[in-house]
Amino acid sequence: MKFKGKSFIAIVLSPEPPFTDWLQEIDRIIVRSPGFFIDRPIILDVRGSKIPIDELEQLLEELGSRSIRVMGIDGVAGTRLKPGMPPSFSGGRLASDIDVPTPAAGGAAEDDADEPAAGPTAAKADKSAETPKPAAKSKGKAARATAETVAAPASVVSGSSIVITEPVRSGQSILHPEGDVTVIGSVSSGAEIIAGGSIHVYGALRGRALAGVSGKDCARIFCSKLDAELVSINGLYKVADDFDGALRNAPAQIRFEDETLVFEGLN
Amino acid sequence: MSNATVVVVTSGKGGVGKTTTTAAIASALAKEGYQVCAIDFDVGLRNLDLIMGAERRVVFDLVNVVRGEASIKQALVRDKKLNNLYLLPASQTRDKDALTEEGVASVISELRMYFDWVICDSPAGIERGATLAMRHADEAIIVSNPEVSSVRDCDRIIGLLDAKTKIAEDGGRMPKHLMITRYDTERAKTGDMLATDDVVDILSVPLIGVVPESKDVLKASNVGLPITLSDENSPAAKAYTEAVRRLLGENIPVTIPEEKRSLLGKFFKGRAA
Repeated sequence: MKFKGKSFIAIVLSPEPPFTDWLQEIDRIIVRSPGFFIDRPIILDVRGSKIPIDELEQLLEELGSRSIRVMGIDGVAGTRLKPGMPPSFSGGRLASDIDVPTPAAGGAAEDDADEPAAGPTAAKADKSAETPKPAAKSKGKAARATAETVAAPASVVSGSSIVITEPVRSGQSILHPEGDVTVIGSVSSGAEIIAGGSIHVYGALRGRALAGVSGKDCARIFCSKLDAELVSINGLYKVADDFDGALRNAPAQIRFEDETLVFEGLN
Repeated sequence: MSNATVVVVTSGKGGVGKTTTTAAIASALAKEGYQVCAIDFDVGLRNLDLIMGAERRVVFDLVNVVRGEASIKQALVRDKKLNNLYLLPASQTRDKDALTEEGVASVISELRMYFDWVICDSPAGIERGATLAMRHADEAIIVSNPEVSSVRDCDRIIGLLDAKTKIAEDGGRMPKHLMITRYDTERAKTGDMLATDDVVDILSVPLIGVVPESKDVLKASNVGLPITLSDENSPAAKAYTEAVRRLLGENIPVTIPEEKRSLLGKFFKGRAA
């Protein structure tokens, strides 16, 4: 018998007393980005804090009530843990920090630091001001950080939706977890649009479109020419190979229904 | 004293014809009577000197100038045929890290004073060399082959032109021109190549010229003469000359190369010994 090895990057939470304040910070992150902790491996790091086991149990309960499932605890000997608690974990290599999602101030997020922000700068300013500093010390590399996000070209912000008035080029990524994204122009192969709400593309959709990323089933994807590499609504995705051939290059909408993606022509 | 227009010739992908295009455009502009300088930014893999037939006369190079080891005038190599065409060669022994942003900025601003046109030959890729080549440009010529990988890489480069250049950072928009090279009339006919319309549609950048795949280009490169100088009547040279007229602001329709055979040609087809 053989076992496969796989490595995942976990978010490391380092609770700092007083825990009520720390949990409030966590709540704030969840409000901003409901999906942030969902389906992510999470490790609780209590090294050096000498936390009594009862308090630890309470903390785990609090986290559990927020649907944060801790997969392991670093810094407590396994023998001290009570039955039912996640196992003791140690070792591991530190990865780079995970960015906490920017608040809903609006605007496409730009995360490649040396990219000039042509789009709304409000998002960035708020990020530094509001990001809970060491409270939720999130370490590791978030999936979204791997995609290079180029400044959203000429975006117009209105409420919680943004309008991009230029083609989205290969390698660019428009991230707007708070609402709808409308693109006037094409989305190129190798580009991606990630929206909390619906995605509207007045042009050819050749890249990836991920709608409803913060858990919205009712989000839809609309485009005047469907040639996408991948479409996803609320985490359910389909790649180009699995598309209905009849709609290829036609105006189409994609919606989420009964745990499937429904493709329809727009005529 | 003039103020030059700085044009970057870029593509993302390698081998699409950036250097050939740079040489052809630069010499066609020089033939129109402008003072032209071509800069090779491909430090470590320089080729523009070969294509322009100047490799035997290179003394100093871009890296020397950037580092202040030589003056621009010492490094500029004058073309053999056109005395208003100059080349600023790249260094072959250094790598792209030898270029500094400030150094490149000062070289370009000095060249702006001496010339009417500065044509920058960008290296392939999206790293330092390529971003420095495009950084101070006023206009860009995007070189693409009519095939998907090249088109996608161009798309990526266009994104960078709109984000990482001086113009973009100042809130402006860089004018861009699309040059489709290595257009194969045979394959266009059978349909196993992207049509020019598709490329233009995907990139949404105005077309400045379509250059047919041609043996003349290869021949010209091997003898070290830009195609626009070596064989003025070849379809490729004509395409570049037309492109330059469009670059200068003339409004002429783009000719898509097609197999044109005269009646005589048809008659003798396959009979040439």
